[in-house]
Amino acid sequence: MKRVRTRSMFVFVLVLLFFAGITYFTVNISLNAGSWVQHSYNGHTAGSGGLEKAGKIFDRNGVVLAQTVDGNRVYNEDYNTRLSTLHVVGDNSLNISTAVQSVYRSELTGFSYIWGLEMPQSFRGGNNLTLTIDSNACKTAYEALGGMNGAVVVMNYKTGEILCSVSSKTYDPQNPPEINEENEKDYVGAYLNRVISSSYAPGSTFKLITTAAALENMPDIDSRTFECTGSAEIGGEKVTCMSQHGTINLDDGLAQSCNIVFAQLAYELGRDKMTAAANEMGINSSFNIGHAPTVKGQYDVKNASDNDLAWSGIGQYTDLANPMQMCILMSAIANGGNRAEPYYVHSINGSDYSVFTAAVQSGQAMLKSSTAQRLNDMMRYTVTSNYGDYMFGGNLTVCAKTGTAEVQEGESNDAWIVGFTQDEDAPLAFAVVVEDGTFGLTTAGPVASAAIQACAQSMRAE
Amino acid sequence: MDEFLQSLNIQVLTDAAVVALRILIPLLGIIVVFQCYSSMRRQRRDEKPLIMLENTANGEVLPVLCWENSVGRAKRNDIVIADDLSVSREHCVILRRKEGWFISDTGSKTGTFVNGEQTQGRVPVYINDEIKIGKDTFVLKRAQDYTITNRSWFIKKEGSKEGIAPFALMMLISIFTLFMAAEACLSIEAVDFQPLLIYAAFMAVAWLFYFVSTKVFKRVGFELEGLALFLTGIGVMLSVRQGLHQTYVQIIACAIGMAFFCFMIKFLQNPDRVNKWRLAIMIIAVALLGVNIVFGSIRGGAANWIMIGGISVQPSEFVKIAYIFVGASALDHLQTRRNFIIFIIFSAICIGALFIMSDFGTALIFFGTFIMISIVRSGDYKTVVVSVVGALFGGLMILRFKPYIADRFSGWGKAFQNSDNSLGYQTARVLTYAASGGLFGCGLGNGFLKYVGASESDLVFGLVCEELGLIVALTIAISIGGLFFYARAITTRSRSTFYSISACCAAGLLVLQSSLNIFGATDILPLTGVTLPFVSVGGSSMIACWGLLAFIKAADERTYSIKKR
Repeated sequence: MKRVRTRSMFVFVLVLLFFAGITYFTVNISLNAGSWVQHSYNGHTAGSGGLEKAGKIFDRNGVVLAQTVDGNRVYNEDYNTRLSTLHVVGDNSLNISTAVQSVYRSELTGFSYIWGLEMPQSFRGGNNLTLTIDSNACKTAYEALGGMNGAVVVMNYKTGEILCSVSSKTYDPQNPPEINEENEKDYVGAYLNRVISSSYAPGSTFKLITTAAALENMPDIDSRTFECTGSAEIGGEKVTCMSQHGTINLDDGLAQSCNIVFAQLAYELGRDKMTAAANEMGINSSFNIGHAPTVKGQYDVKNASDNDLAWSGIGQYTDLANPMQMCILMSAIANGGNRAEPYYVHSINGSDYSVFTAAVQSGQAMLKSSTAQRLNDMMRYTVTSNYGDYMFGGNLTVCAKTGTAEVQEGESNDAWIVGFTQDEDAPLAFAVVVEDGTFGLTTAGPVASAAIQACAQSMRAE
Repeated sequence: MDEFLQSLNIQVLTDAAVVALRILIPLLGIIVVFQCYSSMRRQRRDEKPLIMLENTANGEVLPVLCWENSVGRAKRNDIVIADDLSVSREHCVILRRKEGWFISDTGSKTGTFVNGEQTQGRVPVYINDEIKIGKDTFVLKRAQDYTITNRSWFIKKEGSKEGIAPFALMMLISIFTLFMAAEACLSIEAVDFQPLLIYAAFMAVAWLFYFVSTKVFKRVGFELEGLALFLTGIGVMLSVRQGLHQTYVQIIACAIGMAFFCFMIKFLQNPDRVNKWRLAIMIIAVALLGVNIVFGSIRGGAANWIMIGGISVQPSEFVKIAYIFVGASALDHLQTRRNFIIFIIFSAICIGALFIMSDFGTALIFFGTFIMISIVRSGDYKTVVVSVVGALFGGLMILRFKPYIADRFSGWGKAFQNSDNSLGYQTARVLTYAASGGLFGCGLGNGFLKYVGASESDLVFGLVCEELGLIVALTIAISIGGLFFYARAITTRSRSTFYSISACCAAGLLVLQSSLNIFGATDILPLTGVTLPFVSVGGSSMIACWGLLAFIKAADERTYSIKKR
């Protein structure tokens, strides 16, 4: 009988494995319950469920963007404010997965794994969130978009606070549409926060990266000139330019957005140096904005022909960039090479609106400070020589670069403008993309102008 | 204003009562399981020799501690006669039956002699008989005071505080289940007293069983039965707000299971009689599976159901019991018939039949149990390795010919990525709803997992986590896992190796099945669609679980001793 006991050791090991599995499950559920409950199919949080006792959401000035009144979630009373802040705030559902009402739902509802989601009403209580955004600036930017789809982001590049973040296509969270097969064409990407979850062909805005690569790798770049006759053969095939710039140097090349200059530079720099520059400037990376990651951009010339390489230097070929990512790059240029760490949520606490304070922070370096300074000057020169300061209302010192990306031949373009201000009292970095626009300057320019002026006004008033 | 305050207070009071219930249920659940196990650990005799063998040459005394003892030169024997090369490594077996003591030579080289006569098969031996094993002759003596402390960690010292009385345990379980019924009355689904009716029906069955067990059969312990009632009660109460019909079926199945349990205990009383029935049981089991293959209907991807007069039955559940029967045997049979080719063939037939039915979950349970039984009875790792290799090959064949099984593997561990398609639909919901329940659950009937298919059977662990909370879920897991520790602790005290093998392997089977159920539902293993013992809704499974529990009960020597007094 002793032998049976000895041999049953084998079964003993199996039973220990069973307990190991149970332990694993327990640890796993304790750590991840907060994210496991956040799925749109969860019956406990569906509808307005789960938010009946959720806390309030304030913007930076204490404006209530969402609150619960008698068990119902009520959003800001102004229609356009609701539409413009939808992708940051979220709606009752969890459809917009990066919105704070999705990402911070546990905090808002006071969810703790100990009591689960069905704590009786009397004992529930949620936290309030104070956001970094200025709802008025968001509304202004949304109205400036004038019904066009796109993304607008403005942040304080000294502190990382996101002041304005608008994504369109949008809808009213107070009265969300039932999206079905019939109307889904009207709501393409409505659940995406385009600011952090969409990527577009960067077009001429990518020339900033090519410029940085040239500044860091070509010692004689300042003495060089290029010949633009409207088109040139680079890498065996043609590269075209919008106009004939004649003999042109780097600074004017950027200011006038000459394709030939940057196609030639990309071709000369080669795949490795271009890829290294794009990687350093975060094109192929994802950044965490609070708990939500940005979508990665793309710069991949591994299998590109020489001509493709040339086109990649002016933001075509397979290049992709995300608006938030570009805004972060702008913060790095504005900050002498160090990027800001952008965020949406300023504070979470149980009491009411907490007074807004943010500290200056210095993030990771993205480019050399000398390069940043040169780009800073060149982008300023682009505005003074080409776009004109009046475009941004006249009381801001803006540095910018536009881009017009051909999505598909014959179709309309994605219009970009990226940049920042040099003003000490309103240090703003911005990125704007408008889908189906004509030109970066004419389509995206006015939207950016409206957004940064609203943000600057708000900051100067504080 | 006053009215408003009053209504608010009533709301707060009701909510407070709900929270109190939610906390009390897991607390009481832990107490029930704790009391059951601590009682199992008590009330044991110390390991005293039953008889002794006195060596006539030098007066050395060998204590005979167990009901079945292997005698031989090898150290792993219960009684070791070392330093005598004429003793075989496994020479003979001294065993005790109701009729008295026997000795059985198990193919030794030099033979075993009783009072000078060479033995053939089992022969009775009496006190003062002379037994010659090898060179030495031993006299069978009554045991004197000779205590050996060879106690399992599981079992407490004799004389420690008495365990809980069966009646008190039964009361505890009744209160525990009553709390669950009360909670179910207040569900969001409906507020009515239906759960109390179900409670009354279930308790009537449980108390009847209690009285039959303690008063009619005069059995001493009630801990195993208590654990089974604890688990069944949880299953029944989870089912109330899901469907009344299935709940009543569950209670009826439980009653049949209890009757079957009593029958099994009676049937298992004589291990030698069981041995005579082995062939018949094998034939019945194979016939059952055959009928299933021919007349089976498909449900949930597996053709493991047959309809008999409007009642659907899952024959493979009952074959589990037959399987343990066939696998276990008494010590002298184990030592004389070393090769277990018949058992291997029987296993191959069972597992093959389950494959034909596409019931891979149960096939896996059978295969796991096959390995457990093989190792426990023979210690023959070679055969086991060969069968594992064979099984791996068979597994690859399934993946090749049944692509939907391969799909399950592709969805494994990625529940949330597949929450919209069939690969992860169920597991993603189990995880989400389990997390929604917290430690104390969201209340019986308040869950959403119950609207997901198979939540009452394959996904029931998630349902427990959601509605009763993680603490109750863990208590269930511990109470099932603990069965094996109990079965192992009493191996050397069982009345025959038949009981110790069957108890260890039946407990192992229940744990294995629970593993597949719990880890399948929670995406730790691929989902196989097996039930959680006693808790899942399912008549055949419920009856089979009571049958398996009977093996563990039978291994406890107290089961067949009549209550003193």
